[in-house]
Amino acid sequence: MISFGGDVHITIAGALIALLIAAAVGATLNWMLHPPQSHVLRIAAEAERELERLVGSLIVVFSPEIDSSHMMALAVKLARGERSELLALYVIEVPYTLPPDAEMTFEERTALDALGAAETIANGHNVAIRTETIKARSTKQAVLDVAKRVKANLIILGSFREGKYTGAPLGRTIEEIAADAKCDVLIGVEGKHGTLLMDESSQSTT
Amino acid sequence: MSTSSSTPKPELRRSVTPWGSFSWGYSDVGADIFVGLGLVLAWAAGASNVAFLFAGVVYVCIGLAYTELAATYPVAGGGQYFVMRGLGDIFGFIAGWAVLLDFTIDVTLFAWTSVDYTSQLAPALVNSVHPWLHFIVVLGLVIGLCLLNVVGVRESTAFNGVVSALDVISETCILCFGFLFAFRPQLLIHTMQLHWPSTYELMLGTSLAIISFVGLESISQAAQETQRPASIIPRTSVALILTILIFALAYSNLALGLQPWHPITDSAGHPMQFWQIFPQNSDNQGKAVALLAAQVPYYGAFAALYVPVLGAVLLLISSNSGVFGSSRIAYAMSSSNLLPSLFQRVNRAYRTPAISIVFFSAIALIELGFAAAPALFPGVSSLYVRFFHGENGLEFLADLYAFGAATSYSFVFLGLIGLRLMDPLSPRKFKIPFNIPMRFRGERVDFPVVAVIGFLGIFSILLFTLRTHALGRIFGPTWLLLGLIAYLFYRRHRRLPLLRSQKHDWRNEQTEILRRAGELELMDEYLSNLRASDERRAAGRS
Repeated sequence: MISFGGDVHITIAGALIALLIAAAVGATLNWMLHPPQSHVLRIAAEAERELERLVGSLIVVFSPEIDSSHMMALAVKLARGERSELLALYVIEVPYTLPPDAEMTFEERTALDALGAAETIANGHNVAIRTETIKARSTKQAVLDVAKRVKANLIILGSFREGKYTGAPLGRTIEEIAADAKCDVLIGVEGKHGTLLMDESSQSTT
Repeated sequence: MSTSSSTPKPELRRSVTPWGSFSWGYSDVGADIFVGLGLVLAWAAGASNVAFLFAGVVYVCIGLAYTELAATYPVAGGGQYFVMRGLGDIFGFIAGWAVLLDFTIDVTLFAWTSVDYTSQLAPALVNSVHPWLHFIVVLGLVIGLCLLNVVGVRESTAFNGVVSALDVISETCILCFGFLFAFRPQLLIHTMQLHWPSTYELMLGTSLAIISFVGLESISQAAQETQRPASIIPRTSVALILTILIFALAYSNLALGLQPWHPITDSAGHPMQFWQIFPQNSDNQGKAVALLAAQVPYYGAFAALYVPVLGAVLLLISSNSGVFGSSRIAYAMSSSNLLPSLFQRVNRAYRTPAISIVFFSAIALIELGFAAAPALFPGVSSLYVRFFHGENGLEFLADLYAFGAATSYSFVFLGLIGLRLMDPLSPRKFKIPFNIPMRFRGERVDFPVVAVIGFLGIFSILLFTLRTHALGRIFGPTWLLLGLIAYLFYRRHRRLPLLRSQKHDWRNEQTEILRRAGELELMDEYLSNLRASDERRAAGRS
């Protein structure tokens, strides 16, 4: 027995019981919180691990042809949930008739708007974002090069702008990126209220 | 693709996690020790730990039974559903009606004790000093909880989880520091030898000790909202059983062997042991844990500040679970045609079973009035002394609580035995140990020995209750009798079998239960068991 003065005495039995209580309660709760996994849960866990691998580094692509603004909020929520690195990339395609670093004031101003909006969405959700504007001869090649450089896991693309329709259902650039990318590509095609898919009922009446 | 024109019936969302499931049970059972400890110490004195041990063994059996049943039949409804399935409609009604009695008492008893704990910090609320103020505050709490439940505001699982976590940590600290700094093994032995109660007092203490373990069905009531209930519920139930058992046994032993940090004396100035403050003053019985915590050296000074608040919050949540649980059980019983469809009616504006909530809250208020009457009107007190052995309000509620729990649990054990025999094909992810393999109606069944032991244990506690509780043995059976008469009238009115059960398609219902629970592997196993059984029977006939 150890005396601390006053009326406090520590007994071996008391100390042992105290230790046993703490250990028993701790062990019981720990056991409870770690139940065995079912087959369905294992599938779900595997899918979640896959998601972590899938969205470690995200690129959201903008260009005069590709409008990804409606995908930006989704990209930010993904990046926030998975703590991914997020890059908003605006590609200005420079025609061969101009030098590679030609000044393209209108396109550059449009890029600032798109990337500014992307930053606003990201800041609103407290997600760190990098923005980059690059000029290239080919949008496809530029996106693939940047994806390789930043080791992107996922490229996110919106749908094409109707005015630049080139005959391919999704826009030729989007199809080429999807075909040649070495990582996963998520394409967000606007639905009924977007510009790509027309409302069948309104088509039939016109 | 074909489309269905009917809108699918909305189902309860499976959002309760393992900790959520645990905290559902803990917020109900965990609060019981705050109520039960003082009462048991007051009556069982030096044998309080023995009373808790006996009740604890029975509780472990009850817990294991509930664990098996809730994991096998993960539906809302709890004990009454298991009993209805195992024994038939009328027994399901009796079990459910007894639980309803407990839930209404739960509302009043825990609101009352919540105020007792608050009085530790606000002495104006002490019942014997200001009975009207105490009564009005309890009344206000019960009415407030009733209104909250009607408008749909209920304690969230997250809030339960936080309070439960704080309480588990807090109680573990109280016990660890208490045993470390203030426990005297010699004092415990001395107290047990010198203050051993009479047989009558020990029976009374044991019947009160069981109230420290009531509320396990909260886990099974939340089964329909629990993720993977067949896997999670066995764990959370077993963890709850162990945690509460550890706390109850530790508290009772510590209280008997506690060297108080501040010397306690009686009115004549003679030194007293800690546990002796409970038989001396009934006001202390409702706040035993707070008083014990305050006597723990060093830690007690801090605990004295927050334990009353924590206890009061936990008890209030438990009281709210009484309002919520009674309406839910009545709703489930109404769905099974055990109660009138009135109790299934949902308020259009708030989408809650408002009639059920108000009806059972009103019963709780009647119980409150009956319990508070001796303190409020001294004239009534003499009537109680003459006819009811002079029991106080808290003891009256505890009487009925013990009766309702013992009755309901007795039937749950019988229901478990019935289900083992009648429904051996349902896969049991958790099975109570110690079974005797045998054949019944051509099927191989495991007869549960523990259920028999548990039934004998809880039935003996029911007999203790009837023998020792003057009020409990009058009002408990009266409650059951009135309920049975109403049940028979209702069944006759609906042209349903009176003593027999209505037709149930348990096979399809069980398949649907497992599918909805997301236990697809168990559903496959069940269907495979059914096929194999049908083939065996067909082969036997040919």
